[in-house]
Amino acid sequence: MHSVVLTKGVPDFREGQVSFDEDGHLERGKTPTVMNPNDKHALRAALQTKVRQGGTVSLMSMGPPGYMEVLQEGMREVYADDLYLLSDREMGAADTWATAMTAATGIQKLDDPPDLVFAGFKTADGETGHTGPQTEWCLDMPLVTHVISLDIDEEDGVLRAKRLVEGDVEEIETVEAPLPAFVVADPEFEPTYRRADHRLKHKDLRETTQDRAEEFGEYLADDSDLDPTDWDRFTMWDHAALNLDPDYIGLDGSPTIVAGVDPIPKAPSEREATVVDPDDDAAMERVVEELAPYAGGD
Amino acid sequence: MPEIDPTDHEIADLGPKIKDIDDADELREMLELEEDGENRPPVKTLIESRIEKLEEADAEIDPESVDLSELTVADIANLVRDIDDTDVLREMLEREEAGDDRKTAKGQIEDRIESIEGSDGEGEGAELEYVPPEEKHPDLDHPTADKQWVERLEDAEYRDMWVYCETQHGELIDVSREMLGKARQLMDDYNDRYGGDEDGEPEDVVAVLIGDSVGDLAEQVIEYGADRVVSFEDDRLDRFRHKPYTEIFCSMARAGGQVADEGHEDVDWKDYDEPRYTVFPATNNGRDLSALVQGELDSGLASDCSGLYIEEAMISNPAKTGNPGDSKEFERILHMKRPDFSGFEYSTILCIDKPFRDFHPQGASVIPGSFEIPEADPEREGEVVEYEMDLSDDWFGVDVTEFDTLDSGIDLTGHDVVVAMGRGIGDSPTEGIELGLDLVDAFDDAAFGLSRGVITSSYNFEGHVESYIGEDRQIGESGQVVEPDVYVAAGISGAIQHKVGMDESDTIVAINSDPEADIRGFSDYFIEGDLFEVLPRLTEAVEAGELATAVAEASDD
Repeated sequence: MHSVVLTKGVPDFREGQVSFDEDGHLERGKTPTVMNPNDKHALRAALQTKVRQGGTVSLMSMGPPGYMEVLQEGMREVYADDLYLLSDREMGAADTWATAMTAATGIQKLDDPPDLVFAGFKTADGETGHTGPQTEWCLDMPLVTHVISLDIDEEDGVLRAKRLVEGDVEEIETVEAPLPAFVVADPEFEPTYRRADHRLKHKDLRETTQDRAEEFGEYLADDSDLDPTDWDRFTMWDHAALNLDPDYIGLDGSPTIVAGVDPIPKAPSEREATVVDPDDDAAMERVVEELAPYAGGD
Repeated sequence: MPEIDPTDHEIADLGPKIKDIDDADELREMLELEEDGENRPPVKTLIESRIEKLEEADAEIDPESVDLSELTVADIANLVRDIDDTDVLREMLEREEAGDDRKTAKGQIEDRIESIEGSDGEGEGAELEYVPPEEKHPDLDHPTADKQWVERLEDAEYRDMWVYCETQHGELIDVSREMLGKARQLMDDYNDRYGGDEDGEPEDVVAVLIGDSVGDLAEQVIEYGADRVVSFEDDRLDRFRHKPYTEIFCSMARAGGQVADEGHEDVDWKDYDEPRYTVFPATNNGRDLSALVQGELDSGLASDCSGLYIEEAMISNPAKTGNPGDSKEFERILHMKRPDFSGFEYSTILCIDKPFRDFHPQGASVIPGSFEIPEADPEREGEVVEYEMDLSDDWFGVDVTEFDTLDSGIDLTGHDVVVAMGRGIGDSPTEGIELGLDLVDAFDDAAFGLSRGVITSSYNFEGHVESYIGEDRQIGESGQVVEPDVYVAAGISGAIQHKVGMDESDTIVAINSDPEADIRGFSDYFIEGDLFEVLPRLTEAVEAGELATAVAEASDD
């Protein structure tokens, strides 16, 4: 069983990490890059497959060379066997369609065609939720999205999954799809390891991939020229290697552009707040007086 | 009377409209209408800040003497727009470099210089010559499944706004009605403004219904604003399926045009190539469909929009104009406004053609609840088209074997008290949530809510706390709107989207260590302190009935 997981680096939006310029715009350069939080659910789905079914996991991303650290982080999480970075200036500023074209071509170039491709739901920066489905559209595989639990039946060559449907009422569907298939994991995805030997395997894999991620770290630290042949578990492809026409990828291949970014306007003031110093007991008591009538939990 | 009565519009639409008004008196009249009508504070702020801006502009800024460091980048952008003399601009650029040296400000001035010079130089109007990709890139052997190999249609014709009306169990879901109302309004404005299409024919709202027995909904869809309904029924489509739904939508969209599927070249209800605009609901299935349809039609889209309007766009991006330095006006562009970067900013996304390649339809998906459900008009008439096509068995590889309806989720409304947590929990997220839950437990009838920031964060929550983190507890614009007697906001900075969800509460108590937090402006009590210290004290005091007891106990420790 060979799985490919797609991942992306995004600005770290946690409190204190985000940096804004004087106009209130996000300063990407000054905000650290981390793996897209939602991709972890795709990684967990791939890891579950690896633990339960065996096989290998390839982790793939598109972005600047700095994303190698994101791949390293991903390697630890998913116990990935090998890493792929699609990286080229021509790929820059791509929207979801141009990204999907590139990612799909990367997947098609793999020597060992995958049985499963995993993607996360929205990214924390673009938040479109489109790249997974559109990459599938380029590859033309059976698509199952918003997956919250997954079972692979190798004997029948199918996957069975539960997926979340929204609308005026929420529903959970059980779906069955033939392999190979493309899976988009929902943020509510939960892996399950029912058997003790799965848990043991999990532990073994963690140890071996820790070592591998360290090795990749050394490679990253040693070789600033980033020769992709130095470490055989890492491959970097540019547009020429992928045989991709620059007019169809990156900014040039993107139907959409961002025309403007406005800081979200500040909420207007309407109430005259009484400022309370928590050390001022009398002032705190006035707050408690507001709350006290509703007390009574048990 | 002003031209626009603000009470007829939603907040998201008013922004761009107000920006276009240059008469302060007209704005004042609008402000009065709003005050007498809905009296929405954000609308009033919008109008007031526009008036302020105009009055500032009236003060006549002289670009040659103004102190640039006193202007914001936005002011500079507005100022340079009216300057045609590149020497003046260059001199401004030097002053900015010598002064604050803001990259964004310099960019505005440079762009203006570039667009002026581009327009007399060899740039604009320079005929772009089409070079086939195999000549342009002889080193590549042009892979490409047909999906990656598309060129512009000759004399392409795009018309109408298509709305995908999602259904559940044979009924339209609310967002479908919301989109129809919005589409009606957009296309009415469009037809007023442009006088219809290039030939003066009004363009329509076209509703698409796909499913098991959705044909029955056609009348309803017309009542909510559609001019034409295109429906397709098949009992295999009782549940949403990605592949067949995409194929059907695309076949409808291409029917009657140059790229029509076989057998659909001539239809009596459509004679253009593809829709001009498409709109989908930003639900799990609707969003997927939007991405797949727009991909298959080789075009783009913006997802999860909360505001849509149509106007021209001046673009200088060389990927779209073909020549660096050129500015080009694109007409009838759907401006798609969406909260971005985990809610830190609004982005406006445009889907725009480039030389030798068309990006139509311009697609959007919209967040449920962003627009109002219009009133149904039983008198409205429209055309109903029952589309017919063969479905390939290959499209049904993914099979839905079972489904269950979930409980309606968590209702945060109707409680005495709501305790909500924001990113202030960042230092210790699990503990922060636990402290909030403790306070909830101290009340007789309280609910636990979250700001959007917590939901989109990458915090790791441990143990049972994780089950309290989810969109079903979100308060604000894209979440629930609550009006409890007491609202406790702990560690919430107070973004405008959050405010919308709670500012009707009777008493608002904010806890925040940042004295400048915006929430202070709409709180009744602002406890300036660390929620990790303040929350346990409040919990204890509420449990004990009075703070004095809690203090006495604490000091014994």
